[in-house]
Amino acid sequence: MTNGMNKYVKYGLILLLSVGLILFTQEIKSLKDPNSMPVTGTTVLGLGVLWLFSMIGIGISDVMQKSSVKFIRDFPILGWVSITSLVLCLISDFFVQAIQAVDFLSITTPILTFAGISVANRLVDLRKTSWKIALVAIFVFTGTYAGSALLAQLGLYLAGN
Amino acid sequence: MKKNFIYLIVFALLVITVAEFIGFQSIPIGSFSIGLLPLVFAIAITMILGLSIFRKGFWKKVYSKENVDFASKYLIFIMLPLMARYGADVAPQIGEIIQVGWVFIIQELGNLGTVLIGLPLAIMLGLRREAIGATLGIGREGELAYISEKYTLESKEGRGVLSIYIIGTLFGAIFFSIFSPILLQLGFQVEALAMATGVGSGSMMSAASASLVAQVPDMESTILAYASASQLLTSFLGTFTMVFLAAPLQQLIYKFLVRGDN
Repeated sequence: MTNGMNKYVKYGLILLLSVGLILFTQEIKSLKDPNSMPVTGTTVLGLGVLWLFSMIGIGISDVMQKSSVKFIRDFPILGWVSITSLVLCLISDFFVQAIQAVDFLSITTPILTFAGISVANRLVDLRKTSWKIALVAIFVFTGTYAGSALLAQLGLYLAGN
Repeated sequence: MKKNFIYLIVFALLVITVAEFIGFQSIPIGSFSIGLLPLVFAIAITMILGLSIFRKGFWKKVYSKENVDFASKYLIFIMLPLMARYGADVAPQIGEIIQVGWVFIIQELGNLGTVLIGLPLAIMLGLRREAIGATLGIGREGELAYISEKYTLESKEGRGVLSIYIIGTLFGAIFFSIFSPILLQLGFQVEALAMATGVGSGSMMSAASASLVAQVPDMESTILAYASASQLLTSFLGTFTMVFLAAPLQQLIYKFLVRGDN
């Protein structure tokens, strides 16, 4: 059981690092551009809420591992966190207010910083792929995005929006 | 705490600072303009400095095995606060989203575009079984799992999906942050593009939606609400779309295109 608790302490600290980096980014952003969203007490509160929702999502995901339905076991943690957040934000507008004091773009910069570091050892794997596959990749990415955008555009038009 | 880990944190803070001070850059190319967000600079800087030619002396401590492993193992946790934010974007607009709910479901079928556009091109380039793995989807965890279960990752199909996985991991976010503003300038409605950003990868979705927000700041709340609702829907429906629609469709087109050549 102590091992189990240690795991959550570790997740908690990593999430603390994550929200800490967001706070830092938002501060830097407002230094660079005074018109951007300032860091306020509500921002810190919002970051606390994000931390809490993430922890709850991790907990739910762990509980769901015991489910007998494969689909539920395989459902990503990212999804559980979104659902947790959606439900709690629907219940109380307080969460919405707090979270919206956190600047969206300030959340993305630290994530992509870590994404860049995380792929450092995979750059060599690029040699295993060919230019043909790279060209296919461009079409595959274009296909999924443009395909969805076309259908969405058509749907919105038919819905009269 | 390990000393190298402190270097990692300090390095991350420096990269963020540099990326934010470069700020949002708009680069005109012909009649288009490409908007580069700080997040693009952040991933570009960290990727370039991570190249093995730079990894000597001090950089070797920053990009130590433990640090790189930490970043890749826990990237998903670093990303969780972003996912937690999406609830706050969707909740205030839940009524509107449910009203056009069927559009969200229909645009999921757009993910078949990987097969419809990617597969014929791959066959044309002379790829065969690799093409099955490479065009089933955008090569995220779902497709990796499916292909490795059905063909193993050592097969040609497996090599195809792994290649897409690698390319997507390295360049997916950058690609979408450039591509989505281009579609916007081609005349797509920003709501439609926001819905389409739910491609099934967290970092690609955030890059795509962030670049839309940068282009149309007034629509920030709608863009984020649509993007996150669509992402959530993809995580529910994505597996079903892949197994019951993309895979059979792919087999059909594959057999049609390579008929008579062996």
